[in-house]
Amino acid sequence: MDQKLYKKVLKLLLIIVVTVLFFFPIYWIVTMAFKPFPEWTAAGGKIYWFPNHPTLDNFRAIFSQKLEMSPISGTAIRPIINSLVVSVIGTCIAMVVGIFAAYGISRYKAGGSLPFMLLQLRMFPPIAIIIPIMIMWAFLHMTDTWYGLSLIYGVVTLPFSVWLMKTFFDDIPHELDEAAIVDGCSNIGAFFKVVMPLAKGGIASTALFVFILNWSDFLIALILTDRKWTTIPVHISKLQSALVGALYGPKAALGLIALIPPVFFGILIQKYLVRGLTFGAIKK
Amino acid sequence: MADIVLDKLVKRFGKQTAVDRLSLEINDRQFIAILGPSGCGKTTTMNMISGLLKPDSGSVIFNGKVMNNIPPGKRGVGFMFQNYAVFTYLNVYDNIAFGLKIRKLPPDEIDREVREVARLLQIHHLLSMMASKLSINDMQKVALARSMITKPQIFLLDEPLSNLDAALRNVMRAELKKIQQELGQTTVYVTHDQVEAMSLADKIAVMNFAVLQQYDTPHNIYNHPKNLFVAHFIGSPTINFMNGVYKNGEFVLEDFNRGTISIGGGSRKNFDKQLKGENVVLGVRPEHMKIGERGGDAGNLRAEVVSFEPLGSKTIVYMHPDANPGVILKSTMDSDYKPKIGEVKSLSFEEKNLYLFDRESTDLVFRFGS
Repeated sequence: MDQKLYKKVLKLLLIIVVTVLFFFPIYWIVTMAFKPFPEWTAAGGKIYWFPNHPTLDNFRAIFSQKLEMSPISGTAIRPIINSLVVSVIGTCIAMVVGIFAAYGISRYKAGGSLPFMLLQLRMFPPIAIIIPIMIMWAFLHMTDTWYGLSLIYGVVTLPFSVWLMKTFFDDIPHELDEAAIVDGCSNIGAFFKVVMPLAKGGIASTALFVFILNWSDFLIALILTDRKWTTIPVHISKLQSALVGALYGPKAALGLIALIPPVFFGILIQKYLVRGLTFGAIKK
Repeated sequence: MADIVLDKLVKRFGKQTAVDRLSLEINDRQFIAILGPSGCGKTTTMNMISGLLKPDSGSVIFNGKVMNNIPPGKRGVGFMFQNYAVFTYLNVYDNIAFGLKIRKLPPDEIDREVREVARLLQIHHLLSMMASKLSINDMQKVALARSMITKPQIFLLDEPLSNLDAALRNVMRAELKKIQQELGQTTVYVTHDQVEAMSLADKIAVMNFAVLQQYDTPHNIYNHPKNLFVAHFIGSPTINFMNGVYKNGEFVLEDFNRGTISIGGGSRKNFDKQLKGENVVLGVRPEHMKIGERGGDAGNLRAEVVSFEPLGSKTIVYMHPDANPGVILKSTMDSDYKPKIGEVKSLSFEEKNLYLFDRESTDLVFRFGS
């Protein structure tokens, strides 16, 4: 009995520690976003665990050019739109190409050793490939454009979408598509009519994952964009003012805004994230 | 309606040959079983008949027409998979209607057909249920209904009963047979279960290591097995094999101390000619191996009882021959037979129940009885 209680307490304690560890940055961003300047600045030498005088000043600062706290880099409206545009298009590219590639690999062993080479691409540190890509992009006049950035996002996240989708397709028994083919479907018809509906959950969670990768990218956007197509992470890094230096409060405010799309998307597809529910197709 | 001819089918996966020069003729309305251990190529054969796999060489012929390049959906086959492949994201109705919807039939006709098939299989009360909520029994019927609805001339069943429990399997076995007789399709049934094959099929094709071993009626497969593999694979408990040497008209069984037996009599001349080497294997089915009776045609063979299984209707006794404890012999005895473990008994069998195999080629050389 005691043993059990002791184990339970230990388990609970561990859960609490891990939860605190994971949620502390979020807690800090949320509180920081609402702290007025004297509370978020380190100047006073005092730590405020909670905003004593909550304010929306930080949000005003990132969206306007008039306050004294306003950053020199301009408002955050454009970067937010940019981030949405390139992340969504990049995700679409990675998903469309990834789904078809993964299905081919899963069912028809397409590409020989190519799938694995695709994975190996991810073993390079991104910084090693981004410089040559910048030169290529400059030649093609694709730096600081939405298509240039979207394309590279789609390419960089493709290995993830291919390999994740492959595992989902592998989990769908091939007898299901074969049954559809015997019933008169073409190969592609079986894919759309049978495999896609069953892979919905996998597609949704892969898309979310790829979207988060694109959404949080800093390095590629930093190097391939300049003024017009900077994204949120790059903009956050540029939030400084001539008067105060690094604007931690506004940075937190923009960070909080950046949290919204992935969280919203995540809640939207929550029921699909519970993997396994959809894969009870067959009695083994 | 449809007869099937498989002509020297070959299928390789990489270096491995899954099916090797398989030739089979299946008559219209016939129910045949492809029987063999896992990995013997039976499912591959099925997939080539359905068109899901293309043979590397050879041809699949329906009604005299080569089907190699016809896609599965246009071959007029119904396929029922081992795991049923029921579309769990659809309800029962849509599952059954799937094939007809693909063929773009008018909705009222689809509706009529679906209800008719559902009634035949007694699942009409489940039509609006999601397939994922079905019991395994009903799932199997839905799979059957879905493959039946397009009125295929050829029915392919890939181990359809292997997921059911024993009692249900017997019921469904009878039901399958009934449905096949009512509808009269040519049916190919893949199984690794000899009881299913023996009880359902008009003819059985026994396969092993990608090669067809024997294609014959259940009666002939059991009573005239072509080689050691078929003899061993069919029959439960399995047949007893005894290694022996044939010399000067006498057999010397190696596993027994006094293993010399003299059999053959008038038929000796026949197997004198057919035997290539002198090494042979003698086969006796457990039901023909008698314990405790001296004489018979077995000479003076003795064996020690190792264990026994009283099964109610009969008792299976396991024994070592006296010169080789590495070999197990089985005998099916009456249920009131109660042996003692460790006892040494004499064995007997009658000549007419003996099979004589060549040890090198493994082929059956002679069957003493008719």
